[in-house]
Amino acid sequence: MLQLFALLTAIFIGLISVRSAAAAADDFYKGKTIRIVVGFSAGGGFDTYARAIARHMGKHIPGQPSIVVENMTGAGSLIAANHVYKVAKPDGLTIGHFIGGLFLGQVLGQKGIEFDARKFEFIGAPITDHVVCALTKASGITSVEKWMASKTPVKMGGIAPGTSTPDNATRIFKAALGLPIQLVSGYKGTADVRLAAEGGEIAGGCWGWDSVSVTWRKALDSGDAVVVLQASRRTHPDLPKVPQAIKLAKTDEARKMIEVGIHGDSDIVRTYTLPPGTPEDRVQLLRKAFNATLKDPEFVADAKKSKLNISPIAAEDIEKDIAGLFKLDPALIGKLKKILYD
Amino acid sequence: MVEMFSALLSGLYQVFNWSTFSLMMVGIGVGFVVGILPGLGGPTAMALMLPFIFTMNAVEAFAFLLGMTAVTATTGDITSVLFGVPGEPTTASTIVDGHAMARNGEAGRALGAVLTSSLLGAIFAAVALAVAIPVIRPVVLSFGSPEFFMLAILGISFVASLSGEDQLKGIIAGGIGLMLATIGLDPISGIQRYTFGQLFLWDGIGLVPITIGFYAIPETIGLAVLGTSIAKQEVGKLGGVMEGVKDTFRHFWLVIRCSALGCFIAIIPGIGGATTQWLAYAHAVQSSPNKERFGKGAVEGVLGPGAANNSTLGGSLITTIAFGVPASVVMAILLGAFIIQGIVPGPDMLLPPPKGKLDLTFSFVWVIIFSNFITVAICFLFLKPLAKVTQIRGAIIIPLILVLIYLGAYAEKNAFQDMVVVLFFGGLGWIMEKMEWPRPPVLLGLVLGPLAENRLFLSTDNYGLSWTTRPGVMIIFAITLFGIFYPVWKRRKEQLVADSQSSTPVEVSRHRGIHFSPAAVFTGVVVAILALALFQSRNFGVRAGLFPWVIGIPTLLLALAQLAKEFTTGKKDRTHEQVEVPPEIARRRTLEIIGWTVGCFLVIWLLSFSYAVPLFILLYLKLAGREGWLMTITVTFFAWLFFYVLFERMLNVPFPDGLLLSFFQ
Repeated sequence: MLQLFALLTAIFIGLISVRSAAAAADDFYKGKTIRIVVGFSAGGGFDTYARAIARHMGKHIPGQPSIVVENMTGAGSLIAANHVYKVAKPDGLTIGHFIGGLFLGQVLGQKGIEFDARKFEFIGAPITDHVVCALTKASGITSVEKWMASKTPVKMGGIAPGTSTPDNATRIFKAALGLPIQLVSGYKGTADVRLAAEGGEIAGGCWGWDSVSVTWRKALDSGDAVVVLQASRRTHPDLPKVPQAIKLAKTDEARKMIEVGIHGDSDIVRTYTLPPGTPEDRVQLLRKAFNATLKDPEFVADAKKSKLNISPIAAEDIEKDIAGLFKLDPALIGKLKKILYD
Repeated sequence: MVEMFSALLSGLYQVFNWSTFSLMMVGIGVGFVVGILPGLGGPTAMALMLPFIFTMNAVEAFAFLLGMTAVTATTGDITSVLFGVPGEPTTASTIVDGHAMARNGEAGRALGAVLTSSLLGAIFAAVALAVAIPVIRPVVLSFGSPEFFMLAILGISFVASLSGEDQLKGIIAGGIGLMLATIGLDPISGIQRYTFGQLFLWDGIGLVPITIGFYAIPETIGLAVLGTSIAKQEVGKLGGVMEGVKDTFRHFWLVIRCSALGCFIAIIPGIGGATTQWLAYAHAVQSSPNKERFGKGAVEGVLGPGAANNSTLGGSLITTIAFGVPASVVMAILLGAFIIQGIVPGPDMLLPPPKGKLDLTFSFVWVIIFSNFITVAICFLFLKPLAKVTQIRGAIIIPLILVLIYLGAYAEKNAFQDMVVVLFFGGLGWIMEKMEWPRPPVLLGLVLGPLAENRLFLSTDNYGLSWTTRPGVMIIFAITLFGIFYPVWKRRKEQLVADSQSSTPVEVSRHRGIHFSPAAVFTGVVVAILALALFQSRNFGVRAGLFPWVIGIPTLLLALAQLAKEFTTGKKDRTHEQVEVPPEIARRRTLEIIGWTVGCFLVIWLLSFSYAVPLFILLYLKLAGREGWLMTITVTFFAWLFFYVLFERMLNVPFPDGLLLSFFQ
């Protein structure tokens, strides 16, 4: 018994000393562990991208650190955002991944936000959202013209006020395009919205094409669900004939709302963030590694298997988008506040 | 038909692939341990295991994950029966009668019953899943928000059967659970209800830390006070095992009904084993002719939940597979596994290959069946040593349980605050146990409250008031009414018969005057908190306020009635109070163990898990347990080794820095 005990102790002391010796090497990242703090639970969309990236990013960083994903859920990822801003050490070992809609939330005065978006450092985003509205054939709304002509408000599913999609996008469509919409909010996620639409309780919902195209594939193919509207800076190659919302807008203000609230938001929604004050060289290092990962054939193969689309947004573009949010006309901010939160 | 059959065989064939089968065995192994260990639950384990499935193919990945999940409910039941500490949050209900049986020396019989009913439940669900495939989609789609709301109400009405002897206390407890459920950010109005400015409370309080605290901490206190091993009597009578197996078949239709209940209720998104177990328990009580046996070791109280918490998996899988809508936390994580594997849950899963992936779906069915058979077989083989565990000195087990309680609470969401929740609800659970308040209604209210509120508003937003006339709604409403009034009617009829036979009036001894007892103080606190909560809710507005008002006002009135009752009836004769330990020693030991429970939390807070785990176990074994140095160091070392290797090295759980340590840095 005692001998076994002594042996095990020896093995462990050995293990620990090997580990600490490795950490003493000069490369900062050698033997270290980078944590990606994801604001949503294991298995969700944010988590899946982060885990796929975590699996491959280590080898693109000098010193080849190991990278782990840590889920810090709550308050629509606001807990994680505040944590990355206030608690996490700015040593380049913590990467935050929370919903980018919170940046607009700060400008609009969303409750509970304890960060200043302008002070974060940004790494980039693997994908931009491409907002579409999909409705069931059973609802009778199979084109945006029919929608516009509907005598009764069309019921669209939502989750909670302030959620980028479906809620913010749907509310902006209603205000900017004058579409007859009754937003029914309170579903637990877009999967529940989809279920309610299939059951005939609501007509459909507006959220990212990457998710709609995969999870609703069958109904789209059979014509039981139809994409009638899209909103993005670039028309999606899958959807050449679907009208762009911004082209349907009649006023400058309406166009601006779509541009800020949907197009801009889509670019920054899946941003990877670093705590304020992270050393510049490490920021650059991580940006480079992030971009290299997104091009890494092994990562691309993983992403393909999991049906994750990749269309990277550079850190500089994200900075520009976020800086733009803070220069918005106060009148527009007031209007957006009213549309999104009231 | 032929295609379906060949898919069924193909699914079987794929599971019997060498690498798939061994991964399933690894999954079963992990699930076995996670299930047995209190604190650590299936969802936590599943989230921690998710990174490992990237390199597996689809059948392998699901054999691994499903094998793991399928067994946690079974082995969790074992911990619940033997220790009275829930092995899983979904097995808390087996404690009520299962642990009572263990203490009566019938551990073998309870285990035999729970294992057999678990197996039957799992097989029932697997078969239901397979049979339901052609009709799943139309049936589930015919259920909209109004029907979900009515089902939640039906579930809440089960509180009556869970209340035990004192219905009034039970209904108040259910109301408290529903009130607790309103904590958090109301997603629609954006109003924060009872969050005290804490972001942590925006999503409400988690069921896992509440369940752990509610049952594990009072039982640990009880164990320490007794100062012995868990079994007060010898549990050597393992011949009882066969008796338990026979019990399962004696109450075969109860087991089947509870399996069906677990399976079909779990189809509803938002309801998992944490709810179905209590519904099954309630059903077991309700359908028994002599209800007073429950809570004291009635085998039906073990069979019902044993079957239901296992059959839940099949039901939740139906929604996940056919619609891609996760029915529970475990399923949400499983859905992530689908994404990683590039599989889209939905209609395709129900079509035979080459068009769909029915063979994969059928492989799930086989994995559930096999993993349960294997687990139950292993359990039966090791029943003797397992039951022996209850004879280990409590002093050695207590520190390990305490550490696991906090570890499990923390690791579920990596949230430090959940440890505070565990501690708080541990205290509340202990007081409720002492004051003889039923705890299950609180948990039922807590789970079903949000579902009811959410679906009520979705129903009215979508249909106005016309939803009340939907046929599904009326049918479920009729069932609910029947469930509430039939027992009342039956009891009245029985009473009439009894009254005509014996006309001696029951003596009610009533002490005059007003009495202040600890029970009255506790009820007073409940009244005060309810009143404060209602006062706070005055500014919520209709949307966020409707639920707190509709629930809070009647609950407050009932609590006042209870308070009045306690003031006037005075002390109850506590003849059934345990008398094994003299009161002074019991009081001292109670204070000590409460000190250690709080102390464990403080050490973790100050020093972080990494240092606190070995330090606390060492101190407890040496100071409270008065163990020898050899025993102390051996137990501490192996506990630390297990903790370090598993959580720090392999799983990389992000433990927070200790307060003291970060202070010195």
